[in-house]
Amino acid sequence: MAGASAADVRSILSLPNPPTPGPSQPRRTPSTAEKARKPEGISRELYSLIGPSAPTLTAQLAKPRLKQKPNLGGGGRVKWRDLEMDWRSFKNGARGDKLELYHWVKAGTVPEADYPFAKYNVQTMTYVYSQDEYMRLLEDKDWTKDETDYLFTLVRDFDARWYVVYDRYEYEGGPERSMEDLKDRYYSVCRKLIRNRPWAGDETSKAQLITSLTFDKEREVTRKKYIASLESRTPQQKAEEDALYIELKRLEQGERRFKRDREELLRTLLGIDSGLPDLPVEEDGLNSGTTDTKKKKKGHFSATTEPETPVSASSNAPNVISLGQPQAKKSQSVSSARYDATHCIHRTEAPSTTLTTTKSAHVPVYLRSYKLPQPKAPSAARVAQVLGELGISHTRLVMPTRENCAQLENLLETASALVETKKVVDKVEQDIRIMKARLGQQESGGAETGDAAPTPMDVDDGNDAEGEVDGRAQSVISTRSARSRRASRRSMSISSVDTSAIGAVKRQKRG
Amino acid sequence: MASNDRVRQRGITIHRPIIYGNTAVVLTQQERETVPSPDHTHRWTVAVRSPASADSETVGGKDDLSYFIKRVTFKLHDTYTVPSRTFDKPPFEVTETGWGEFEIQIRINFVPESGEKAVVVYHHLKLHPWTAAGSNDPEIPPLEVAMKMGPVHSWQYDEIVFHDPFQSFLNILTAHPPTALPRHKSRPVPFHTANPASLEASRGGVPEFTQQMEREEAERLEAARKAVVAETDNWRGRLIGKEKELEKLKRLLEARGGSTD
Repeated sequence: MAGASAADVRSILSLPNPPTPGPSQPRRTPSTAEKARKPEGISRELYSLIGPSAPTLTAQLAKPRLKQKPNLGGGGRVKWRDLEMDWRSFKNGARGDKLELYHWVKAGTVPEADYPFAKYNVQTMTYVYSQDEYMRLLEDKDWTKDETDYLFTLVRDFDARWYVVYDRYEYEGGPERSMEDLKDRYYSVCRKLIRNRPWAGDETSKAQLITSLTFDKEREVTRKKYIASLESRTPQQKAEEDALYIELKRLEQGERRFKRDREELLRTLLGIDSGLPDLPVEEDGLNSGTTDTKKKKKGHFSATTEPETPVSASSNAPNVISLGQPQAKKSQSVSSARYDATHCIHRTEAPSTTLTTTKSAHVPVYLRSYKLPQPKAPSAARVAQVLGELGISHTRLVMPTRENCAQLENLLETASALVETKKVVDKVEQDIRIMKARLGQQESGGAETGDAAPTPMDVDDGNDAEGEVDGRAQSVISTRSARSRRASRRSMSISSVDTSAIGAVKRQKRG
Repeated sequence: MASNDRVRQRGITIHRPIIYGNTAVVLTQQERETVPSPDHTHRWTVAVRSPASADSETVGGKDDLSYFIKRVTFKLHDTYTVPSRTFDKPPFEVTETGWGEFEIQIRINFVPESGEKAVVVYHHLKLHPWTAAGSNDPEIPPLEVAMKMGPVHSWQYDEIVFHDPFQSFLNILTAHPPTALPRHKSRPVPFHTANPASLEASRGGVPEFTQQMEREEAERLEAARKAVVAETDNWRGRLIGKEKELEKLKRLLEARGGSTD
């Protein structure tokens, strides 16, 4: 035991260090530090062998460098792989609530930048329809309103992920629905809604949206069957298909070579460019006879055809003519459109032969501002009011051109739709008020307010009766209130006996 | 193809743009001495012209409309001598002096090849400067003020629409394509009551009709339509909310075992 100092002995015996002031103190601390670590870092024997002052000792006796725990809590800068990181709070714009979480951010970033992952919170477009719309547009013999509502709720909850929707679809009392059935119903409803609701923006975007919602059930079903069959091919079938494919390729190659040879031959014979290379080519004998007449026609069309088509007549002339014609028609329509515009001509479909016989059908000359679209009679006043609020006059246009008149018509249509919707809202609001009053009457147990109370309604009638009753029709109110008096009297007797039960039910429903 | 038969070209609608309206200036003191009656305060000209402007001093009038308009008759107020003024050749305009605004009936007869009856338009003769609705200035400013404001213009753009024209008439029309309006405005805009915002832009010179006016109106209508659609969507959302509420109440009522008569 060489070098057994007093300190060693003390530590072995676990005696406390004597408080020795003086110069030995600084020396003491490193040594005591070392000594304190003696039993931890290495075995005692090894320590005694190496000795306390060996440089390797300190290196080895350093606390085991486990993964450095980050300096949590209290924010602050930490260096991590040569980057300065800050502990910062952030908000996620995609969340509805104001949750603030914390994370490590590189020191240089702007504090209030948007959360970069917020943009991935893509929401699918949800479609909600009103009862009124359902009744008008969306009735279907295979689908009850309830089931359609259920389907829409599911689709909204599951973000239009059809496999999940199909899996979770459990409508009691309904027939078995395949995924195609569900998708078909959903997309057809969406398309009808879009077509029938007023649309902000132009027609093309609306058309695009509608095409994005196309769903052809038959095609989907056959497509899936086809894919399934493709998956379940036997190895022999696969080998057969491969062989056929190879043969097809070989034949195509041969055909191309054949065509090329033909063309070369004809080119050398007739000494000119052969035109469009991919068209089937005719025999030389036929062509040389007909090329003259074709040349004339070709020359005429060439003025209007696209530059690729060479001007000179060729052996492909007959086929080029057929190609030239549709091209000529297209450019002709372009130039005639310009012609029409300069002359202010508007062409419409000529009516069928039956109508042309009636001479009296001629529309006399008129000034366009005399035929401005008018709001329809029943809601004319309200539509005019809507337009007035927007600052548009419906009686005169500054520049009554055809396009502006069409725009005005559109505007009037959408304004009517708005007025309609407002009317339905008012109707429903009135129903709600009536319901509430009726509930209130039931609860109060027959507080007789017959004259002032709004008409209570039969639950069965629903909204239909309200459509007839105008709220102001006094006669109907009197008959209904008679019924209500009876009803309230009945409920009075019940309530005196059974208030607790009713109260419980009420609490249950409200809760 | 260019037959002159009395055959109507089916499916073709052709129109020609026109403007009609008036310009009015306040008479100076000297001028007022030369007029027939001492209470005449303004000199005005009512006209039917083509919308494209002939020069920078006139409103419209570039094209000669006599190729399809045979006659224009202006019916003035009865207090004017010979109140019915007829013109068989251009320029189709009446210049007169007066003091009051009244409605002028303008009857336009077309060339016989058209086979069409006359059309009638009405124009309210505007003598006093346009004022913004609800402004503090009085409706009719005093003459000195009005004189400083310059001539007053009141014009209406319109299009005469012919359906299924006779071939001969169609040829006549296509032989005279109308001059297109300038695309952008370089002169003041003609004021119109349907666009009150144009009051500011209409001051300061002889106005001119432009395609820009048409475009701007289309934009205004489009903006209005979008606003209406947004409102409708809003209301529809509320409707759906209310329907749900109604459903809840109904079910509540049913659950009460209420009186189902």
